[in-house]
Amino acid sequence: MLELSGVSYRYAGYPDPVLHDVDLTLADGEIVGVVGANESGKSTLCLVVSGLAPGSVGGQLTGGGLSIDGQPMAGRPLHEFVTRVGIGFQNPATQLSGVTGSVFEEVALGPMNLGASRRDTVQRTRQALATLGIEGLAERAPRRLSGGQAQLVVLASLLAMRPGHLVLDEPTAQLDPEGSLLVASALRELAATGTALLVAEHKTDILEGLCTRIMALADGRTVADGAPAEVFGDARLTDWGVDPPARIRLDRLVRERGLDPAQVLP
Amino acid sequence: MSRLVPATPTAFHRLNPLTKVTLATTGSVGAVIVGGYLGPLTILGVMIALAAQAGVLRALLRASLFLTLPLAISVVLVSVFTRAGTTVLFQVGPFDATMEGVDFAGQTLVRLLAISMSIGLFVMTTEPRAFVFDLERRGVPPRAAFVAVATIEAVPTLIERAGVIGESQRARGLDTEGSLRARLRGLIPIVAPLILGSLTDVEERSLALESRAFSRPGRRHLLWTMPDSSPERVLRWALVLVLVLAGIARITGRI
Amino acid sequence: MSFSWGRFDTRTIVLIPIAIAINIVLGQTVAAALKIPIYLDSIGTILVGVLAGPIPGLVTGLLANLIWTYVLPAPLQSSYAAPFAVVAAEIGFLSGVFAQLGWFRSRPNSSGQQLVIAAVVALVIVGGLAIYTVSRFYTGAFTFFSPEGDQSVAFQLLGWLIAVGIVGVIVGFLALLFLRRDAGVAYVVVAGVIMGVISALISAPIAAVVFGGVTGSGTDLLVAAFQQGGSDLQTAVLQQGLLSDPIDKVVTSFVVFLLLRSVSRRVIARFPQGEAAVGMERP
Repeated sequence: MLELSGVSYRYAGYPDPVLHDVDLTLADGEIVGVVGANESGKSTLCLVVSGLAPGSVGGQLTGGGLSIDGQPMAGRPLHEFVTRVGIGFQNPATQLSGVTGSVFEEVALGPMNLGASRRDTVQRTRQALATLGIEGLAERAPRRLSGGQAQLVVLASLLAMRPGHLVLDEPTAQLDPEGSLLVASALRELAATGTALLVAEHKTDILEGLCTRIMALADGRTVADGAPAEVFGDARLTDWGVDPPARIRLDRLVRERGLDPAQVLP
Repeated sequence: MSRLVPATPTAFHRLNPLTKVTLATTGSVGAVIVGGYLGPLTILGVMIALAAQAGVLRALLRASLFLTLPLAISVVLVSVFTRAGTTVLFQVGPFDATMEGVDFAGQTLVRLLAISMSIGLFVMTTEPRAFVFDLERRGVPPRAAFVAVATIEAVPTLIERAGVIGESQRARGLDTEGSLRARLRGLIPIVAPLILGSLTDVEERSLALESRAFSRPGRRHLLWTMPDSSPERVLRWALVLVLVLAGIARITGRI
Repeated sequence: MSFSWGRFDTRTIVLIPIAIAINIVLGQTVAAALKIPIYLDSIGTILVGVLAGPIPGLVTGLLANLIWTYVLPAPLQSSYAAPFAVVAAEIGFLSGVFAQLGWFRSRPNSSGQQLVIAAVVALVIVGGLAIYTVSRFYTGAFTFFSPEGDQSVAFQLLGWLIAVGIVGVIVGFLALLFLRRDAGVAYVVVAGVIMGVISALISAPIAAVVFGGVTGSGTDLLVAAFQQGGSDLQTAVLQQGLLSDPIDKVVTSFVVFLLLRSVSRRVIARFPQGEAAVGMERP
């Protein structure tokens, strides 16, 4: 269980906070989607939840702070976050370490860095690859993966460290449609494993079938937090810079024409 | 996990990387310390024999000669024709080719060949990542090992990126031929984005690495080990000893 | 103003291999493309020195050459790089020191007076270094450039080319300084000249003893010229180095200086010594 209570965050060298008084709870097994316009603070939220802000990027975190499983995480070294919260970003190329010769080694890197025994490392790697269904990629060179495949490898690499929570900052943003589909179905697999997921995305279609809860951010503040149907159905969604999922847009279009969606739509 | 263990077609390949690099360093540094013809030629002979055993002799000779050729031309120019000497062999314009010059050029070339063959033999029979990880197992800090291995991939990645930038710039009408001024103008729009792009990359890569516990202090258990043996250990120390003795002998004027 | 020896945080560690790759790629392509002996093969090392500090810069220089020889696979690998590791280390270290002293900072909108003082000080320092090195290392070396000597026209031409080159560099420097109204240019030039001179001093014996004084590039012609003029090998290499190294290092430092001006503050500030290097007072 991961909790942010009334947290504000300000980047180093910038006077204004990017996050204002944000609350977030991520219970075990929950899948929460985060939506919002481009500068709404989604990425910053991801960095804060994973401890990289302020741990790696500096800046100031004020308010109630972050606690995981009841333990306050303020001031802890970064490698202690890693076994509790994993974070994935949008650019597959810069997330691959660049020091491994095969996907297997890439996925094994995290456990190895954690000091796991050789046997443990191999076991965790095999498990992570299996969970995402990419055992077939194990011998491939990481450089030669497609964007979607690379993102799956990144997900496996994070999983191998067995965090209870995973944060993903726009995982499909730099992928082609095929890659996006690949990642979307991988996320569904992940959801089934019981790992809590926090996914920031523009593509609300992906979130719709996946999430148990949606959080909407605007100007660094939480403006909505509830069930997907409720948040995606909210009329203010486009004001917040978010495109509703296709189904809802279609539904609205049909209603605007004075037709009954139940009769017109499949 | 076959890909983690490098190809070992011959006994020489199977030697521990540290042994092979000690051999390479002893050969190359030794060639400089000892000087003259006999030392470097002996070293050359040893390297040729080992390369033959390892099945890389042809490739090694080709690579070494290719590397040394531009230097050879300069060596001839600088040493044969302009070096001070008394025994003139022939003249080309105002330049005298002297015996001393030829002698010096000869020694230089032999030394350069010994250096490139010694190191080349190591490079051709050792998987670089295996070498670096073996060093890490022996106590080199993991972050230094990271730098070494990351460089291997960083270079081709940069070249690719330079190519992409170059293409897009040329598509925008950039001229890369012509006068010095034009070439200079042509280079900046490629070099600048290349370096700037690399710098912004650093942030993303750092965050990704942090999320893989990169900054955790302490050793890690690597997935594979390179075998080592007592005879190799003895050989390594013997080579180091020989090098040290040669150094002392050279400094004290024995050689 | 605080002085830091530098930090090896994650960003520094990630920067170093990229910087080494920049060294290698630019080193192979720039001189070939421009056809003049400006290599820019220490630009990565200087970047690390500036952005992460003197000790990381030193380590980068060392590792760059060692990795180039012992770790990179063919065809990138060069067996002849390792002996110069010390020189690269010195460049990385000095660039870090100069950056800590603020010599890589842009000082835009400098007043006319500041520009003139900067120009004068720079010229005095560089001129002083030049006079010292000429009197110490070049005695008698230029005889073959003079018309009275019995050497060929080619050497006289070479001599004039060098002279023109030097005058051109001075004029170029002054033009840049005053046109950009940035007194920082003067600091960068001095930094580059100092690094160049020290590099030449350290690398000459290495080049002479290990490589017989040659590098396989056009500058070997200069070495031949100086040797023909009567210098022994090591002196000839030094005489060549003291001409080409400062120019190369000044250009390289200037490129780094310009790059620092173009990179966004956010990116630079994330590096351990980034803010110190560019100076924090910016709108």
